Amino acid sequence: MNDFPSSKYDRGKIFAKTGLKVGTNYAKHYLKNLRGADSNRNSEFYNQTAQQIFSEFTKLRGTALKIAQSLSIDQGLLPDEFSEVMTQAQYSVPPINRSLVRSIIKRELGDYPESLFESFDTEAIAAASIGQVHAARLKTGEKVAVKIQYPGVRDTIASDLGLAKSLFKRFIKNKDELEEYFEEIESTLRLETDYINEGETIDRFHERFSTDRFETPRWIEEFSTERVLTMSYLEGEHLKEFLKRDPSQEEKNSFGQKIWDFFHEQVRQSDEIHADTHPGNFLLTKEGKLGIIDFGCVKNFPDEFFRDYLLLLPTHLERDLDKIKALYNRLDVLKGDPETDEKEKKYFEFCLNYGFTFAMPYESDTFDFGDPEYKELIRGYTKNAPIGNEARGNKHFLYSTRVHLGLYHFLMKLGATIETRKSQEIVQNRIDGRLAAPKN
Amino acid sequence: MNKITEEKIRISKSGALLYLQNPRFSMTALAEAAELKAEKIYDYFSNRRDVLDFFYEGLILEYEESVRSIEKYDEFTLSEKLNNLALTILDLMDPYKEFIRQTYSERVMCSGRTTSFEKHFRRQLKTIYESDTTQSRLSSALNREPLYKMGMFNFHLLIRFWLKDDSVANQKTMEFVDKWTAFVEELHYSSILDRGFDVAKFIFYNSPFANTSKNRTS
Repeated sequence: MNDFPSSKYDRGKIFAKTGLKVGTNYAKHYLKNLRGADSNRNSEFYNQTAQQIFSEFTKLRGTALKIAQSLSIDQGLLPDEFSEVMTQAQYSVPPINRSLVRSIIKRELGDYPESLFESFDTEAIAAASIGQVHAARLKTGEKVAVKIQYPGVRDTIASDLGLAKSLFKRFIKNKDELEEYFEEIESTLRLETDYINEGETIDRFHERFSTDRFETPRWIEEFSTERVLTMSYLEGEHLKEFLKRDPSQEEKNSFGQKIWDFFHEQVRQSDEIHADTHPGNFLLTKEGKLGIIDFGCVKNFPDEFFRDYLLLLPTHLERDLDKIKALYNRLDVLKGDPETDEKEKKYFEFCLNYGFTFAMPYESDTFDFGDPEYKELIRGYTKNAPIGNEARGNKHFLYSTRVHLGLYHFLMKLGATIETRKSQEIVQNRIDGRLAAPKN
Repeated sequence: MNKITEEKIRISKSGALLYLQNPRFSMTALAEAAELKAEKIYDYFSNRRDVLDFFYEGLILEYEESVRSIEKYDEFTLSEKLNNLALTILDLMDPYKEFIRQTYSERVMCSGRTTSFEKHFRRQLKTIYESDTTQSRLSSALNREPLYKMGMFNFHLLIRFWLKDDSVANQKTMEFVDKWTAFVEELHYSSILDRGFDVAKFIFYNSPFANTSKNRTS
């Protein structure tokens, strides 16, 4: 795959083609179901459709693929077969051709890779929505990862979001509020395409998380520009490889505990939060540390919002309905009184029960994310969300839930049992404005 | 690349920069700019025109040199090789964009003769196409001079596109090259032409019309 469809027309065509394919498949599926279908057939159907969507969306790369990933992987909105296939998008978008990679490096860094580096692997080790990563070795002998942005990706953000917005506007009632969400997505995506910004974030996280438990890369500034990012190379196993070698429960727990603690350590530090919790961004190093490797999507949530967001945990644990109601109103989840408004009641009941389920890991000292019942419960809520024709909730929920749900999905896939007592204290301290001093 | 060629390329690049200050620069001024004696320049070039023409030829020589340094170049696909040819030459042209803007049309594209740059460029295309074994049968049979002339014409169009490209780091040009070479590869690798040729051949020998005409003559 060489061509990156960057014009609005090309990309719109792919959207339409995908819609048509999926539509045809659903029509066929519906007819089969009328004749009586079994679950295997459903699975086969979902898989077939997901493969088709995947092949079309990977052509788009950029924004559209990013949106598809968010919908399918972290949120659990789609059937498992979809999620499995779309998870491939984290690692296996068709790479751009090798000559183009050389030329991008020449234009960005001033010379060809064979002159700049001791060695440069022309085959990409990972190709995702915005760029692809190559392994290389500096002349000093240090192994590095070089991330190269696809040409024209930044130009597609506005047009892809424009297409998505026009689709949403057809069935969303409060169109003006929708703008706010799209602005949030657009500004985040624009930042993701600025590799200098990511390099600086890498430096800040390296400063915060160079410990015996976590490992983050170092930014190599002299080999980086807005579209090429060079960082030290972290060796390790991604979740998929880790699970493939059938690790013991103890190993799973240890891996899971690290990612759980990483999230809560960020909460404790009251600083930026890594907002792209999908398995492709984490690995387990040989030394048994948690490696964090992608810093494109990092959020600095406003204090007021984040405090309220965290408050959801203790209020649900305490089952204090009045406080919960007030909080939902502050966070724009509710737009009226659930006592008198039937629609608000529906939303309130759903959010309340989902909130209880979400707070469950914090109820006791340990929690088993491998419990299939819990997985079903979470999935059930996500799938049965009362999706109405209006946008709801503070715009910052877009990324805060992405972090949190991503974390839960990661741990459920891993099947880890986690000690949560410390994290309860961290959340409470953050709410109370008491910040623990030492770095872990 | 030998030292003489390296020196000639260096002199021609100095000439290109000097041209922007004074299109009728003298060989003495060139010698000064290149930090050489005028006699040395005359060893390589007979006049200013030779110097400027060699600037373009030198681009291909530098491209050839760079190909030698690419690991696993033989494994590149047709699209990757064509991409590399176009983008490497554009990379080399980039610091001299203004010179190219002022001279490419007159000295290369509409010079009224086949310049050495064009000859070398077509030779490179010939090497790329003929060394590619993945092409369909019919495409391989079309690897002839008209194909290389068309490739040269496409490159002229690319230069015009690039000269007008004001996108950051010429990303639009990169995309254009990428899309164009992917299209060319698709055409050459596709067996649809072979299949079409087979069908045409079958119809030619077996169609009822062919029999009718045979019957008439008999």
